[in-house]
Amino acid sequence: MLPVSEDPTISRKLKKASQLLLYQHHRLPGAKGWELRKILGKDYMKIVKLLERRLDDLGLEVKVVYEDGLDHPSPTEDDLEQARFYVLSKSPIQTGEASLSGWRIDTLAVLAATLAFITSKQGRATRREVEDLLREKFPDWKVDQDLNRFIRRGYLDEDEEGNLFIGWRTRAEIDRKTLLGIIAGSSADAW
Amino acid sequence: MDIPQKLMILKRLLPQWKLLDELLMDAEAIKELSLMVKLQSDWVKRRASGLFIDPFLVEVKVKMLGKESLASALLSSWHPLIASEQLTPRRLSEALDYWNVLLPLSQRMKELEAAEQMEEKTLTISDLIRLKFLSDKVFDEEIKRLHDELTEETKGGPVDYWRFITRDNYEETVMRAYTLSFLISNGLANLIINPVEETTSVEALPGPGLKRGGKSVPISIWYQKWKELRGVTSE
Repeated sequence: MLPVSEDPTISRKLKKASQLLLYQHHRLPGAKGWELRKILGKDYMKIVKLLERRLDDLGLEVKVVYEDGLDHPSPTEDDLEQARFYVLSKSPIQTGEASLSGWRIDTLAVLAATLAFITSKQGRATRREVEDLLREKFPDWKVDQDLNRFIRRGYLDEDEEGNLFIGWRTRAEIDRKTLLGIIAGSSADAW
Repeated sequence: MDIPQKLMILKRLLPQWKLLDELLMDAEAIKELSLMVKLQSDWVKRRASGLFIDPFLVEVKVKMLGKESLASALLSSWHPLIASEQLTPRRLSEALDYWNVLLPLSQRMKELEAAEQMEEKTLTISDLIRLKFLSDKVFDEEIKRLHDELTEETKGGPVDYWRFITRDNYEETVMRAYTLSFLISNGLANLIINPVEETTSVEALPGPGLKRGGKSVPISIWYQKWKELRGVTSE
């Protein structure tokens, strides 16, 4: 029997899976579970696991974000088909690499405060509440500019009634459990 | 809320209900209780996922922390997404074609101004019959003829939508697209869209009994598109 890496069918499916996950096909990056199933076949999760092993060497991983935004330790087929699969950096950005994000440190601070606050409010807060919190530390123009920037980039969502929600990019990129743990467990320091 | 207790009450009272309205109220109560169970389940899941924390504590901590500490907390939990935008030779070729046929802005503005003065209307079948574009009989015959043709062509599986509708004549192409939309709406044909490969194909169905799905899919066809499909480069 050929090793997995030399099996032509598996190799072809691995290439296709990496194309689906790494090249942007739609407005959002990544691919939905049903798209992967359609292209890779019903055993698509096995291909995803194999791909993940290859990506591991590059410090990358495949993350599955479920439609309801919650963790699913034992997902059903339907959960997986409706979920979106992304490729992420396995390790978080190091503090010294902050400039790689392309944002100023105070913008990162605004995002951290906003996400922690909204997450603690069960994923939803009014824009007014968030602005009131941020305006204690930042000028009005910056708060407004940053919140709009986060909405454009997908870190936040806003409905017509002025409620802010956790956006798709936050669900994919930010480990909110870690973020809340660090913020809640930190001791005070000066601004 | 003690759901088992409420269910026991409903069970105990059930034999006493005689009227349909009373039973309907019972059914509604059970529906509400099941919704409550779902909400409780979501609440437990959220708590179990570790994202439950007192908002007041977070607010106080956020106010106390410096911007460096907040930024550092974010960076420690940030796993950037890896994705690449791509430009394929095919899309590049389509973009070049588009550029080549794009009229100067001044000319397009004139057309837009002219178009703004015209009111858009949707024509129904009866409008087309009234305007003598169609007759009832001819349209029915045309639907049957196209269904027969599609059945014949899709014996071996679905065929490309654009290949099926395109003919040498623009008017005929539009008419085929229009008639095909009736076949699809009436469950006599099935439209298959592959969003990943960006292909649209169509297959015949034997009868309305096998009608699937329930969504509308707008497909535009215009003169330039037809010219591209036919490979026509000049007027």
